Amino acid sequence: MFLIVNGKPHPLPEPLMLTELLHSLSPMAPFAVAHNEEFVPRGAYDTCRISPGDRIDIVFPTAGG
Amino acid sequence: MRNRNEGQMVLYGQKFCSRLLLGTARYDSPSLLADAIGAADPAMLTVSLRRQLAGSKDSGQCFWNLLRDTQRPILPNTAGCRTAREAIKTACMARELFQTDLIKLEVIGDELNLQPDPFGLVEAATELVKLGFKVLPYCTEDWVVCRRLMDAGCEVLMP
Repeated sequence: MFLIVNGKPHPLPEPLMLTELLHSLSPMAPFAVAHNEEFVPRGAYDTCRISPGDRIDIVFPTAGG
Repeated sequence: MRNRNEGQMVLYGQKFCSRLLLGTARYDSPSLLADAIGAADPAMLTVSLRRQLAGSKDSGQCFWNLLRDTQRPILPNTAGCRTAREAIKTACMARELFQTDLIKLEVIGDELNLQPDPFGLVEAATELVKLGFKVLPYCTEDWVVCRRLMDAGCEVLMP
């Protein structure tokens, strides 16, 4: 089973919470997260359940404007 | 007597001594960007968000540290967004990251010339204002679109 992280397939052996997924991915701070095109506030990481086929976007600040 | 507020720029009730908004893209190096910021003394710096790449050495930490060191107000943007939903999502992520309600709203309708999508722009602006954002929409000089953006609650336009 897979989910999509930043546009790329990522193995998902079983459903888990976003907190656990981020722990395994270890993105470098600072970052923000969206789940299936919806922003997930940091306070909701513990309650956001990740299932097969879900899409996760992890973004960080970059030059632009 | 000269009014001491003369020349100040006021955006959503916040006063700035400079009227310059400085982009942070296309500098050859972080030090060059830092030099430009020091020389320009801008009111705000505009920044973007980008997906982190797994294993990438570029985590944004260097740029983030530079932003914090300049202590300038930040104006995040929704560059690259092509739908209202995408722009709203990006704005929310930007608000959490940069701790600001200000957002330069971009909803692009044409990848080649970066013409704004007026329909997506008004839709996103309407929703973001309801969510408490202070929206600076990137728009054209189309008077009707500008009027719609103002009706949606935008107090600033960026044609």
